[in-house]
Amino acid sequence: MLLEVKRLTKHFGGLAAVQNIDLAVREGEIRGIIGPNGSGKSTLFNLISGVYQAEPGGRILLSGENITACPPHEIARRGIARTFQLLRIFTQMSVLENLLIGHHQHVRYGSVTASIGAASVWAEERRLREEMLDLLEFIGLADYAEMPAGELSIGQRRLLALGRAMAMRPKLLMLDEPAAGLSPVNVDKLLHTVLALKQRFGLTVIVIEHILKVVMESCETVTVLEHGEKIAEGPPAAIKNDHRVIEAYLGKEMGDAEVRAFLKAM
Amino acid sequence: MKDSGTQADGLAQGSARPRPALPAVHLSRRHIPWAVGFLALVALPWATPNAYHHFILNLILINVILAVGLNVVKGFAGQVTVGHIALAAIGAYTSAVLAAKFGVPFWLALPAATLATGLVGALVGVPSFRLEGAYLALATLGLAESVRIAIGVTDYIGAAVGFSDIPPPEVFGRAIVDHRAYYYIIMPLALAGIYFSFCILRSDIGRSFKALREDSLAAAACGINVRKYKLLAFVISALYAGCAGSLQAHMAPGFLHPNSYTITEMVTLLLMVVLGGLGHIWGGVIGAVIVTVIYDLTRDYYQYQMAIFGSVIVLTVLYMPRGIGGVIDDYLNRRRFVAVRRAKAKASADAS
Repeated sequence: MLLEVKRLTKHFGGLAAVQNIDLAVREGEIRGIIGPNGSGKSTLFNLISGVYQAEPGGRILLSGENITACPPHEIARRGIARTFQLLRIFTQMSVLENLLIGHHQHVRYGSVTASIGAASVWAEERRLREEMLDLLEFIGLADYAEMPAGELSIGQRRLLALGRAMAMRPKLLMLDEPAAGLSPVNVDKLLHTVLALKQRFGLTVIVIEHILKVVMESCETVTVLEHGEKIAEGPPAAIKNDHRVIEAYLGKEMGDAEVRAFLKAM
Repeated sequence: MKDSGTQADGLAQGSARPRPALPAVHLSRRHIPWAVGFLALVALPWATPNAYHHFILNLILINVILAVGLNVVKGFAGQVTVGHIALAAIGAYTSAVLAAKFGVPFWLALPAATLATGLVGALVGVPSFRLEGAYLALATLGLAESVRIAIGVTDYIGAAVGFSDIPPPEVFGRAIVDHRAYYYIIMPLALAGIYFSFCILRSDIGRSFKALREDSLAAAACGINVRKYKLLAFVISALYAGCAGSLQAHMAPGFLHPNSYTITEMVTLLLMVVLGGLGHIWGGVIGAVIVTVIYDLTRDYYQYQMAIFGSVIVLTVLYMPRGIGGVIDDYLNRRRFVAVRRAKAKASADAS
C-alpha cells in the first residue's frame, strides 16, 4: 500500500470533522473521495498533508513509514503533493516561479553557494527553468510563463495549481476539488490532463470532487464520507446504487423521480 | 532587473515563445553600465572638497547596507520587524567594545560584530514562528526598545552619556579619520552587500522568501521549511545590520549614543524600504539614497520630520504600493511591451 490511514480522528470543538477513518490506497490507483459539504473530505486532506495534527490513536503511513507527526514541508518532501480547494497559488509571482517553488526540494545548491552567486547556481537555475518550461508546456501554460499568476483565469489557475503540485515530483497527488467552477469543456480538459500526468509519471492520485462525472469516469475506487465517517467504499458502479450514498446526498425523504434524476446526473 | 532585450530577441530568432531572461555569467556589453557606475562611485568623493558632504556620503552608504538588509526580511520574506535598528545598535556597540575595551583591530571587530549580530538576529526571528503582522511588529518593537534602554543604563558602554573614543580603522598603521578615506572602506562593503543580496534574492532562497510572504501554508505544502526560511531571512538581515552598525561605530568622530537607535530612526529606515520598493531588488538602495538626502536637507525642521516621514509612508503604501522601484519596473515593462508589439507588427508586415 502506498498510503495507509488508520483510525484517523479530528475534532473541532465538539464537532467530529473526521471520525475513525481508515483508508488504504494502492500504488497507481486513482481514488475518488466524495460526500456532501461538511462531510470531512478537506479535513482528511489537511490531516494527511500535515496542515492539521491527527488526534492520538490515528496513524498515517506512506509506503509503510509513519508520517503522522511530520510537519507539512516534511510530508511534501516525502512525496505527497496536494492542491487546495481555494488554490492558494502565489498570485504575485510569475507562472514559472510558481512551478519553481513547487520544485523547491529538488534544487541542488545550498544557501552559501547561492549567496556568493557561484556560476554553478546560475547554471542550475537555467536547468530548473528549462525543466519547468517543459512542464508548463505539458499542462498548456507555456505562453504565460512570465505572466504574474494573479492575471490568469480561474481555469488556468486550476491548471497552474496542478502544475505546481506536479513540479514537486510526488508519489502521491491529492487534488481538492480540481474541477470546481469549471465549464464542462474545461472539466474534460482538466480530467484529460490529470490522466495524462498520471500515465506519464506513474502517479497515485486521490481526488475530492463534487462533479460526480469526474469521479465516476476516472476513479477505480470511490470512498464516500458523511459527517466525518466513511459510509461506503467500492467501484463507482456499486457506489452509485448504494442506498446509503443516495440518502447522504438527497436525504431520506426523496421521491423516485429525484433518485432517477440524481443517478442520471452521475 | 530583467534583461529588456530578451523578449524581442526571442521573437527575432523566430522561436515559438520568448524564453525568460537568464542572468548572464559571461562578460558582455551589458556589463559596461556597471563598470561605468563603479568608476563613478570611486570618483564620487572627489566631486566635492566639502568634508560634510563626504560624511553624508558615508551615511548614505551605511543606510544602504541597513535598508538592503531590512528589505530582505521585510520586503522579501514579508516579516514585519521593527527590531532592525536594535540589531544595528548591537552591531555598533559590539564592535565598539571589542575595539575600545579589548584593543581588537577594526578589521577583526567588524566581522566579529557582524557575526554576533547575525546570531542575535536568529533570536529575534524566533517570535516570527508564532506571530504575524502587527503582533510580530509589537514583539520586535519591545525588543528594540529594551535594547536601547539597556544600553542607556549600562555604564560600561557609556550609558546615556554615549560611548566615545572608538578607535578608527587603521590601514598600514595610518588611522582612517578622514571621511573621504573612510568612504573607500564603506563603499566596497556596501557594493558587496548589494551583490550578495542580488545573489540571494534571485536564487531559490529569494523565491522561497517571496512564497512564504504570500502564503506560508502553500509554501509549506510545496516543501519549503517555513521556520528555517523565516530564520534565515532574519539572520541575513541581521548580518547587514551588524555590519552597518560596526561601520557607524568606527566612523569619525568614533562616538555612539543610544538616542541614535530610537523608534524614530526605525521609522526612517522603514520609509527607505517602503519608498524604494518593498520586495524590489533595488528597493533598499533607492530608498536609502533618497531618504538620507532628504533627512539631511530637512534637519533644520527636525520637529516636523517624523510627521512628514510618517505621512509619506502612508501615502506611498496607498498610492505607490510597490514604491519607486515598482514604478520604474512598470515603466520598463511598458516599454518592453511596446517594443515586442512593434517587433510583432513588423514581423507580420514582412510576412505579408
